[in-house]
Amino acid sequence: MVQTKEAQTEKAHVENASRDGILQQIRAGLRTAVPEPAAIGSEHVIFEPIIFEPISNPLERFQQECVSNLMECALTADCAASARQLSEVLQPLPEGEIFVQDDPSLRRLVEMMTELAASTRAIRWSSEGAPAEAAQATVTLAEALIAQTGSILVTSACGGRGASVIAPCHIVYATTAQLVPDLATALGRVSQERIFDSNSFACVISGSSRTADIEKILVQGAHGPRRLVVILQTGS
Amino acid sequence: MSTAAQRFLQDAAVKSADLMHREVIRRGMDSYDAAHLKGRARIKDWEAARQKCQEIKREAINHLDRYLLQFEEKVIARGGHVYWAANSEEACSYVKNLAARFGVRTVVKSKSMVTEEIHLSPALEQAGIKVWETDLGEFIVQLRNEPPYHIVTPAMHLNRGQIAQLFREKLDPAIASDDPRDLMAVARRKLREAFFAAEMGISGANFLVADAGVIAISTNEGNGRLCTSLPRIHVVVTGIEKVIPRLEDLAVLWPVLATSGTGQGITTYGTLIGGPRRAGEVDGAEEFHVVLVDNGRSQLLADAEQREVLHCIRCGACLNICPVFRHVGGHTYGTTYPGPIGSVLTPHLNGIKEFKHLSYASSLCGACTSVCPVKINLHHHLLQNRRNATEAGATKSSERMMFRAWRSAMLHPRIYALGGWSMRKALRILYGLGLAGSILDPMRVWNRYRSPVPLPSESFRAIWRKDRKQDRRKNLGAN
Repeated sequence: MVQTKEAQTEKAHVENASRDGILQQIRAGLRTAVPEPAAIGSEHVIFEPIIFEPISNPLERFQQECVSNLMECALTADCAASARQLSEVLQPLPEGEIFVQDDPSLRRLVEMMTELAASTRAIRWSSEGAPAEAAQATVTLAEALIAQTGSILVTSACGGRGASVIAPCHIVYATTAQLVPDLATALGRVSQERIFDSNSFACVISGSSRTADIEKILVQGAHGPRRLVVILQTGS
Repeated sequence: MSTAAQRFLQDAAVKSADLMHREVIRRGMDSYDAAHLKGRARIKDWEAARQKCQEIKREAINHLDRYLLQFEEKVIARGGHVYWAANSEEACSYVKNLAARFGVRTVVKSKSMVTEEIHLSPALEQAGIKVWETDLGEFIVQLRNEPPYHIVTPAMHLNRGQIAQLFREKLDPAIASDDPRDLMAVARRKLREAFFAAEMGISGANFLVADAGVIAISTNEGNGRLCTSLPRIHVVVTGIEKVIPRLEDLAVLWPVLATSGTGQGITTYGTLIGGPRRAGEVDGAEEFHVVLVDNGRSQLLADAEQREVLHCIRCGACLNICPVFRHVGGHTYGTTYPGPIGSVLTPHLNGIKEFKHLSYASSLCGACTSVCPVKINLHHHLLQNRRNATEAGATKSSERMMFRAWRSAMLHPRIYALGGWSMRKALRILYGLGLAGSILDPMRVWNRYRSPVPLPSESFRAIWRKDRKQDRRKNLGAN
């Protein structure tokens, strides 16, 4: 097993003539001694300074950051309320298909929504393929919510790569239990849970797509969604 | 003087007198300044954040071989490919061959300064491949056949009227509005066709994360997301110095990059990609290739003084604060990387002889160093480049002779006094004839655009002697 992996690597390198030369040059260059910055004496206590303000109330912070990121965050008490919320977001959207991540919790949510209000809108589940170009909205879960930056963390498992960027409106169904205080915690979890062993993609999303390339004027809705809606459920 | 230096001086003179350019840049920079200060205030200890980023990058660069190999191993294990390119030609032909192998006819690109550096788009277009820049700013400068003006905001030298006019000429004569929202909508519609048609997406990478074996891309528009989600092939073109040790390092680097780049707390999309689409995944590229470009970077490692130049995360903060950049603008530099970081880096990448003049495109005020989020001592490096150019014999013989004369005058007070006396006389006659700033005026560089500094009637030495005499008399009187 190990041998085949090595053989595979070996084969890849044969086609890359410059690889060894670059590595040699790097190693030669690194042999040059570069004076290190003044070391801290042993009598000093070495401590990590606090770079970011500690977060005392993650939910409150998350809501604040959502406002400054120009994203919508709707707090709901239970699944029924979340279904109502989803229906309210979807109803005014133009005719067209909705893409939904195929997950039991979202199946249940969509079922409850259709019970509430009869809808003829077509739904494409992620198990049926990637979202269509003309999809009006995408509905997905998130792996975590990050209070510090008002972000959602998604991976390939959340309906794929396109699910959070193709449609003009992206709706995320999450619970307050998924809140983590900061980026360091979220990224630490990605490492610990070895997310990239089973996902080719992850993304920290902080708001809807935007640009300020013309006269530095902010335009919301560039190539990705114009709206990012988080339905944040407090209960089960 | 090199042709690049002559062009720089000509363009600088034109640009700094261009009132429309000045107005556009002033407005752009004012709004950046406000956002940047606000963004910095959101971070509790900005100095500690810079310190941390500097340490992360120093660790990465000082163990560059180890971290690159770690990154490579992870990517290959997931079925991705890593190609090491020694120079532009190697990088371009790798991507070209890849495109040929898969019959690629359309490429969508998200912003990548390294692809500008290696001139990838012209190389692909020569091979008959249609290349779409998809970042709005890049799309605009591509339509104008121009290089990016700024490494973060490529079209910041244009106002909405100029962009609307450009879109009317190149895309649709019926465009009536010059509202940035409407212009964005036009670009969105046009580029959406390209996103769904393209077989290959090319992106850069802001970071290569060694322990996770993923690339990290920061984008706001979502074009980077689409470039890396829709096409069958995803090619990442980036520099070897972009590597960082750990995924958790992004917890500081992301907010600091966003704050320094645009004043945002964090960029809208922090995308991490570790390989091609896995079995069971809904979408994603089936081919994932990372091209690691050296192009002179590894040589910088051996430079004990300037190795830290490789810490740069390309945020553009030093461009924005630089009084020279603010006057002459990005295109005047005539380099891929403009502003202070470009002036430091370009002589290393493209030759000190041709680009030594850039070291003088600075007042050495140190504003760049004060804002650099990874604490690169930029203005000291400009000074070192001046010294290096002189030591390498890249100076003109006339310049060397002048400095020899200056040195000997400084060592011989009588000669110095004679020189000062004759200069005062000569300039007085010249100014009297109204020739200040003319071709005959040795002070022309200053006097061309300014009224001459009034000439003193006596030398400093004479004034000094007189004052000393007066003092002595006073002291005698007091006694």
